[in-house]
Amino acid sequence: MKKVLIVDDAAFMRMSLKSMLERNGFEVVGEAENGEVGVHKYKLCHPDLVTMDITMPKMDGIQALKEIKAYDRNARVIMVSALGQEVFIKEAIKLGAKYFIVKPFKEEHVIKVLNQIK
Amino acid sequence: MPAYNNEPLLEMFVFETTQLLEQLEQVIIHSEQSKSFGPEEVNEIFRIMHTIKGSAAMMHFKDISTLTHKIEDLFYFIRDKEPTYIDYSTLSDIMLESIDFIKLEIKKIENGGKPDGDSLPIKEKIDKFLTFISDPNSQANKSETEEKYKKRFKTTIFFEEDCELEHIRAYTVINDLKNIVEDIYYIPDLEQSDSAEIIQKAGLQIWFTTDRPFEEIHHFLSKTIFLKHLELVELEENKNFNKYLNKTIKAQQKITDTSLEKKDFEQSTYMVSSTQNMISVHVAKLDKLMDLVGELVISEAMVTHNPDLEGLKIDNFNKAASQHRKIINELQDIAMSIRMVPLAATFQKMNRIVYDMSKKLSKEVKLKIIGEETEVDKNIIESISDPLMHLVRNAIDHGIESAEERKTKGKAEIGTIVLEAKNVGGDVLIIVKDDGRGLDKKKIFTKAKAKGLINKPESECPDQEIYSYIFLPGFSTSENVTEFSGRGVGMDVVAQNIGAIGGTVSVDSIPDQGTTITLKIPLTLAIMDGMIVKIGNASYTIPTLNIREAFKPENNDVITDPDGHEIIMIRGECYPILRLHELYKIETSTVEISDGIIVVVESEGKHLCIFVDALVGEQQVVVKVLPKYIRNFKKIRGIAGCTLLGDGSISLILDIADLIKH
Repeated sequence: MKKVLIVDDAAFMRMSLKSMLERNGFEVVGEAENGEVGVHKYKLCHPDLVTMDITMPKMDGIQALKEIKAYDRNARVIMVSALGQEVFIKEAIKLGAKYFIVKPFKEEHVIKVLNQIK
Repeated sequence: MPAYNNEPLLEMFVFETTQLLEQLEQVIIHSEQSKSFGPEEVNEIFRIMHTIKGSAAMMHFKDISTLTHKIEDLFYFIRDKEPTYIDYSTLSDIMLESIDFIKLEIKKIENGGKPDGDSLPIKEKIDKFLTFISDPNSQANKSETEEKYKKRFKTTIFFEEDCELEHIRAYTVINDLKNIVEDIYYIPDLEQSDSAEIIQKAGLQIWFTTDRPFEEIHHFLSKTIFLKHLELVELEENKNFNKYLNKTIKAQQKITDTSLEKKDFEQSTYMVSSTQNMISVHVAKLDKLMDLVGELVISEAMVTHNPDLEGLKIDNFNKAASQHRKIINELQDIAMSIRMVPLAATFQKMNRIVYDMSKKLSKEVKLKIIGEETEVDKNIIESISDPLMHLVRNAIDHGIESAEERKTKGKAEIGTIVLEAKNVGGDVLIIVKDDGRGLDKKKIFTKAKAKGLINKPESECPDQEIYSYIFLPGFSTSENVTEFSGRGVGMDVVAQNIGAIGGTVSVDSIPDQGTTITLKIPLTLAIMDGMIVKIGNASYTIPTLNIREAFKPENNDVITDPDGHEIIMIRGECYPILRLHELYKIETSTVEISDGIIVVVESEGKHLCIFVDALVGEQQVVVKVLPKYIRNFKKIRGIAGCTLLGDGSISLILDIADLIKH
């Protein structure tokens, strides 16, 4: 079972993503409400995948991505973006994010992406 | 050669040719870096050479006109015959050498001499190059060995319907592909607003070169997320691939004409080749304009603050005077802005320096320019060009490490130098930042100690202070004096040049991460806002920019420290007091603290409390330098200049930074 860390500042998003993932055979090993906590929890849990929201207080998704990649070159981080954040997605890809999913989530898209990232 | 003494024509030749050469340089460097001299670039080069040839011929500058004629021939061949194999590196070298030759000749002309350089050696090089690229044998041989092991592929990728954001998904594909293949070209341009639709209808088309087997590439591309359909073909060996490229791909890209790279390039050259809605104005005329505007401001003050009007109730006059003042302010703003020129041209010149040094030192360095649209006064542009060149050279020579060293440190192999300009308050900041090895604090400290510049132990010196020693004359910690830097002449000259235009230099560094040098240059000081203060019968002006607050102190606010210096507590912080009447030995009856006023001033984060008799009022003043006979006699501490007040009296303008330093 693939282990996932969910990083998003909205409790509702974390909750809905968590139930979606657990329904489809993933194990959610941790949640973080901002980039800083996200990096910290990554170092603790070493998940197989990270879903990373972009706009968060304290430390945003791009910065957290940088720090996680600096810590673990092979980290698999999937950016979670809202409409209109294309510039950030591109920047994240350049910085080593594996792929992206867009809010509002289409369950089959999310699952397809998380299954295909190796 | 006929005696050509037509001054204006000569000046125009020098001016125009210099501009064209700068444009040309940018085109060459840019083309060499992107490894392609496309039809647009070739046409521009051709056009520039043609223009220079014509003007040089008219001025009877034979070596320049024959050289440019040869280059015209060369590019005519390239444009017409489209040889497939061209050694771009050699071509760029020849072009840059030619540019340097012409630049040198122009300099001679500018200095009133004759362009007596011999362009024969370069012309011979061009002949040799032309012979080589027109020889069918060399073409065949080279292209064969080049493409022997590498195959060209074309792939078309279709994404699933309704997956949305096809252009971003395409971006991830290209990004991943970059790691395993070379020479990637693709349609559509992902920056276009309709790129997602184009990909939905026609798919993402990518051309690339690789020596990996077909199966491997196919397997890799099949793993694309949301892939609906994949086509992959190996292209036949096509000796005219470049032609094919230019015609099919680049032509298609050009129809929509929004390629980001091209836009960047165009933007950065528009500054240098402005031909629409602009006229060239002689700097002497602008200087005269500035002087007159300055006089106008003073005379306006003389009218509105005229002693004859004191005490009179003249409401209508005051209204008219205020309108008068408003118009003069606007005139002053425009006059100053006319002289303002963007830093773009100066910054772009650095491209050449980076290019040359990268090649000579075999270090890959990339130059990033930010804020080149920031404007500074024309005079300043001339004074910062050389210091900037030195700083950039230094950064590459001493700052950026070799690719291997950077790899072992875990840094990107290509070094980056950031050249940034921005407006902060009344100053322009120019920052040269490199991600190299940083300054060696220990080395600098040791050298400074050896030269007798420091008397305290290393632990007592803050890092910033130690780093600032590099600006002292004769200071260089380089073991080898290279052709480019290390003679210990550079940094102090930089500091001096910047100081001459009223600016300051500061340096900061983090070991192994890089060094940042910041130039802080004030925008024209000529006219500024000042607060007039009185001490005895004398009048002084404090720049409003430096004033933080002013208040009437009480006697017991002031404390005297063991050394006899007066200090005052303001909201919990201690500030030193400077009694101006003591400093300048002015006779005044106001010596009791409670009789006068304290003006709190600040410069570069440090504060000072100046004790004066009274505040007179705020006024716009025109800064004039102190007369020569005073300046040559003795350097007076704390005085930046002087100005004429409305009533005709003279007021000395205080140099806050200088007062605080002591």
